[in-house]
Amino acid sequence: MEKAILTQEEITLAKHCLAFAMQQGADAVRITLTKSLMNLVGLLNGEVDKTAHALDRSLQLQLFVEGRFGSFSSNRLEKEGLEAFIREAIGTVKMLEADAFRALPAPERLAKDAVTGRELGLYDTEYESLTAEKRREMALSSMAWPRLSSAHPGNSWKLISEEGEYSDSVFDSLTLDSQGLEARHTETSFEIGYESTVEDSEGRHFSSYWWDATPRLKDLQLKDCAEKACQRAVAQLDPQGVPSGKYTLILESECASKVVTLVLNALGGYSLQQKNSFLTDSLGKQLFPEGLTILDAPRTPGDTGCRLFDSEGVATREMPIIQNGVVKTYFLNTYISRKMEMEPTVEDATRVKVLPFGGCRTQEEVLAKMRDGILVTGFNGGNSNPATGNFSYGIEGFLIKDGKRVHPVREMLITGNFLTLWNNLVAVADDARPCLSKLVPTLAFKEVDFSA
Amino acid sequence: MIGEKNYYLNVFQVDVPALDKLIGEALATGGGYADLYFENTTYGSLLLRDGAVTSGGNHIDFGVGVRVLSGEKTGYAYSESTAWEDMLASARAAAQIASSAAEVSPYGTRNPSRGEPNPNADRYPILQPWRGAPMSTFLPFLQKLEADVRRRDARIVKVIVNLAFQVSNILMYNSQKELKWDTRPMGSVSLSVVFKQGNLTENKSTSRSFRCGAEMLTDSLVQEMASDVVKGIDDRFAAKRPKGGQMPVVMGAGASGILLHEAMGHAFEADFNRKGTSIFADKMGQQICPKGIQIIDDGTLRGNRGSLNFDDEGIPGQKTYMVEDGVLTSYLHDRISAAHYGVRPTGNGRRESFRYAPIPRMRATYMESGNAKADDLVAEVSKGIFVDEFANGQVQIGEGDFTFYVKSGYLIENGKLTQPVKDINIIGNGPAALADIRGVADDLSIDPGAWTCGKEQSAPVSCGIPTVLIGKLTVGGE
Repeated sequence: MEKAILTQEEITLAKHCLAFAMQQGADAVRITLTKSLMNLVGLLNGEVDKTAHALDRSLQLQLFVEGRFGSFSSNRLEKEGLEAFIREAIGTVKMLEADAFRALPAPERLAKDAVTGRELGLYDTEYESLTAEKRREMALSSMAWPRLSSAHPGNSWKLISEEGEYSDSVFDSLTLDSQGLEARHTETSFEIGYESTVEDSEGRHFSSYWWDATPRLKDLQLKDCAEKACQRAVAQLDPQGVPSGKYTLILESECASKVVTLVLNALGGYSLQQKNSFLTDSLGKQLFPEGLTILDAPRTPGDTGCRLFDSEGVATREMPIIQNGVVKTYFLNTYISRKMEMEPTVEDATRVKVLPFGGCRTQEEVLAKMRDGILVTGFNGGNSNPATGNFSYGIEGFLIKDGKRVHPVREMLITGNFLTLWNNLVAVADDARPCLSKLVPTLAFKEVDFSA
Repeated sequence: MIGEKNYYLNVFQVDVPALDKLIGEALATGGGYADLYFENTTYGSLLLRDGAVTSGGNHIDFGVGVRVLSGEKTGYAYSESTAWEDMLASARAAAQIASSAAEVSPYGTRNPSRGEPNPNADRYPILQPWRGAPMSTFLPFLQKLEADVRRRDARIVKVIVNLAFQVSNILMYNSQKELKWDTRPMGSVSLSVVFKQGNLTENKSTSRSFRCGAEMLTDSLVQEMASDVVKGIDDRFAAKRPKGGQMPVVMGAGASGILLHEAMGHAFEADFNRKGTSIFADKMGQQICPKGIQIIDDGTLRGNRGSLNFDDEGIPGQKTYMVEDGVLTSYLHDRISAAHYGVRPTGNGRRESFRYAPIPRMRATYMESGNAKADDLVAEVSKGIFVDEFANGQVQIGEGDFTFYVKSGYLIENGKLTQPVKDINIIGNGPAALADIRGVADDLSIDPGAWTCGKEQSAPVSCGIPTVLIGKLTVGGE
């Protein structure tokens, strides 16, 4: 167990590397030391199919030398080897071209409350009691194969494959810089995931998945994961065509983060500075519908994905990203903010939360309110143009009539422009599962182009 | 580049008796087969942005993976150190998979490849080393490329050039006492450009990636990439989304090979078939597309991004015919799936790094040339679409449904290319699309871009195809 957490010896080594880099001529240094331990039990069709054990360590250095900048890393954490690596790295940085915009963040912006790494309550000591046998037991207890794979007269399908994975991990990191930053983050994670494939009476295959993840073992939903994956695969049986046209798009929470991520990417400093964003010059403008508010809430104790500091060590804070349709922030690290001559914010959003809008709490309420449309439950390929916001994605899901699922649809595409799409937003539910990296609930958009 | 055995043993500070002892520990609980995969990788990168090369760095990744097979079950663990105690801990962790003795027959009797693989081939000699060369050596290439691009079009507002290279020393040993070693280089250059015309903004990008040394950084590569990225920008600004629907699609030669990779190649990977999930799971020996069509996965192309002297299980690199004369003749195998099917591995056992157990993966996947002329295939279409530039693709293995994103192409009207189109998806079903191939031209081209496959792990691959006419696919448009 002890090996999962950074040792004092490893921390001392990182501090030595920082001091050594300064001695060798660096003007400023940032070091991030990370360590993670992961154990996995994989299942295939009712049996343990694989086990994995992984211990990773890495020391990342960001060096500011004579007005130049370079980024380096090594997983060979021996003192002498690292000293040689740092000497060579400083030589490499000196060969690059000068960049006046590179600098560490102003000291007053740095996190000062990430001392033990456990302030957010994301480390579960229950992890320490886990053994290989216990992991195997938990994994085996989560299977649905023994029950669902046997013949069930009357079923129009049979389960032909059930792949599952239970895994747990500890992640520990320490970020140091030459102006005194010491910021630590430690968390545990427990995950279960299943992918099930069913075959219909004509030999066609349909697959789906379900998963859960949590920082606390007691919250992990082991029991119904495999069953849900199978149910979702069975629900896809007998897909039928739907004519091309404009439909209301109801986007299931499980896959709705895609459309939010693309907005966040467009608000990222590098995209904006390189003029490769459809949200260029959008700050302070009402470009989204009034009902839309997206927050970054990175400091909620116990909440998956929260962090007290970003990759530069800058303290995170709760802030609106979009508030009542108005763009409230860009994501600007120290470098990009200096290039764009704007105030820095944070490197990226940490824990994104889309607030409810339109009076619906659940997916069922959204379906009932929309009455007709297409419920999208997954994407299959596609892309978008970051400069224009135009997109085209393959989708799978269900035709909805009178608020009910009529039949599955496949081989369909949605196309459009993100700004147009968001301005056709008509509902945001309140059903995002806590395990999602972004808390994006079921969303509904009117008049979206579907091709079939 | 292969090199001398002792060099590799020294890099990893091991000797053969120690490797034998470690294998013994890995098999102590009853596993039937074990292997060790040592890796020492150096990465380097340089980034030109806003007119200057202001960012760069080096990264080291070092470690050993231990795999134990018990029947078809896998135990896997790794260590980032080759100190004996650390390797021993990994061997014991991997050994937990085996609860009783199990037999594994890692080689079968039937070889689905044409000819015997050559274990002595060196498919990527390094003429000018990446490792040890000062970064300053490479700066002029990036600067020249930026200058050449900017000279070609006044509408350019931003240029990003990224050079990334890596060199991996690999040492493999297994319980059959096979010791293999290799040094794998990879150099990749990507170029991304933003154009502005009035109020309209467009971006274009191109890349080149090869298994070779720094000798790839030539003036002719500068000219080729600069020309490539500005080519067709007028059409890109003029392009529109076509009206969607089902229509004939002519796939341009080269990058359209992503269709083969996504829609067919993944479904031919034997792990999906072993688990019964692939749409091709029960199609071996059957006619799956018109006669005359050959589909190949090839690890033997000199300097190709997907080529391998040995795969990551120590199997010699080889060329595998998946489809011959329209008949499905081979899946892509690693040792586990080969044992399952009673055939020899095809050299497709690949892994992202020592952190991962190998699984069946593609290398360079392409279709051989046919007899038609590309212009004649276009002329056959009265109303359809021609596509030639792609961003990415995805497939659902069980259903065979694929989607891939078209960055540029043209409408075909009465046998001629007319209106430029962009930002659309093409979707279809792999087996249906294969069966619906109406013509294959004589112009096979392997795309030189930096394609990376993301099946569970990242792996460098490449793809290619001649111009191909497919009778009917769904095009997503307005």
